Amino acid sequence: MDKIIFYEQLAKILDLEEVKPENVLIDFEAWDSLSVLSVLAMADAKYGASIKAEEIRSVVTAADLADLVASKQK
Amino acid sequence: MNFTFHRKRITGVLVVVPENERSFSEDMKNFNFPEARSLKLKEVMGFDKRRVVEPGVCVSDLAVFGLEQLFNRGLLHRDEIDALILVTQTPDHFVPATSSIVQGRLHLKPDMLCLDISQACAGFVVGLMQTFMLLEQESIKKVVLINADVLSRKASPKDRNIYPLIGDAAAITVVERDSEDSVIHASLKMDGARGHALTIPAGGLRMPATLETAILEDVGDNNLRAKDHLFMDGAAIFNFVQTEVPPLIEGLLATAGVSKDAVDYFLCHQPNRFMLQKLADKMKVPHAKMPNNVVERFGNNSGVSIPTVITYDLGDRLLREKLQVCLAGFGAGLTWCAMLVSLGKLDFNLITEYK
Repeated sequence: MDKIIFYEQLAKILDLEEVKPENVLIDFEAWDSLSVLSVLAMADAKYGASIKAEEIRSVVTAADLADLVASKQK
Repeated sequence: MNFTFHRKRITGVLVVVPENERSFSEDMKNFNFPEARSLKLKEVMGFDKRRVVEPGVCVSDLAVFGLEQLFNRGLLHRDEIDALILVTQTPDHFVPATSSIVQGRLHLKPDMLCLDISQACAGFVVGLMQTFMLLEQESIKKVVLINADVLSRKASPKDRNIYPLIGDAAAITVVERDSEDSVIHASLKMDGARGHALTIPAGGLRMPATLETAILEDVGDNNLRAKDHLFMDGAAIFNFVQTEVPPLIEGLLATAGVSKDAVDYFLCHQPNRFMLQKLADKMKVPHAKMPNNVVERFGNNSGVSIPTVITYDLGDRLLREKLQVCLAGFGAGLTWCAMLVSLGKLDFNLITEYK
């Protein structure tokens, strides 16, 4: 998985120019239930990664999220 | 598990929606939520208008109104109803069954069967299966299936995850024997162990409704909800649908020996536009074959959502022609089910307003 592309996809979901690995997800204004759903859908569609909502809620930074998706990638 | 039914057909569908319309943009002004994100929600999820009952309106009110319309228009005769199946999770009372209340209010004949089924978003397919089984009896020639819910009455006005998207409605579907040698395939799965993702905690006997269960509690994200209210773990439900529904439908089509291309429409429960688009993408079905526009006009109206797609999207077309459709319902229970059926040449296919 290309993490640079993943951060771009995440930025698009969050309506931002860019997302850095060290950014804390809950600090983003747009990190809400819609964004969580969008990430679930993106991980499934782009990476074949089936992630549970509670797994997403337990990660802190964008890098943690990228690692989670990578670990579930088929 | 798989089911097969022979020589059964749907002959008419009437959907009853309350006259009272609410707007997502207006409702969202009551929440402490950035307007830009509200707009995004509207754009992505398709939330816009929805129909909800006035205070005090119950399931039997919508059902009686719809049946009277059919009687008055000569589309159904009260004496020919041999069974009345009513699917709801918001019954008028614990006792008696709401189907019996409807029978009584309409003075239907005593020589008939009234039966309530507790199902929500999967309730149309589950209800149809029951009607088909009853039609195996010689004494039963015509079954009326009623799907109805007034879940807006169970939604916390302070819960952004539920309140701005719930709709109320009822559907009346007439099912009869088919003179042609037709086959209907269905597939269904249930998992009660995951049922907590969609629940109303209080109001039953496990946790009776009290002053305490009516207290609004802070459940995070600036949302307030009481134990009397409907709770939905939206992200868990999204996962459930994306994971379970595509293999169920693919298995059903394989069993029936029908290719995806041979299905004219996939008529699914309508939680929101986003989920249906993602479901279509995952199943590699063109978006045009899986309508997703009910929630923007009527809200998520539980077990009435599939009849709403049938009437709103395919209306008059189903009076003239027959289409091969795959119905799919998924929700509380958890329950997920699909049915492959030749639908059309209906006697009526209408939406009416409850006043």
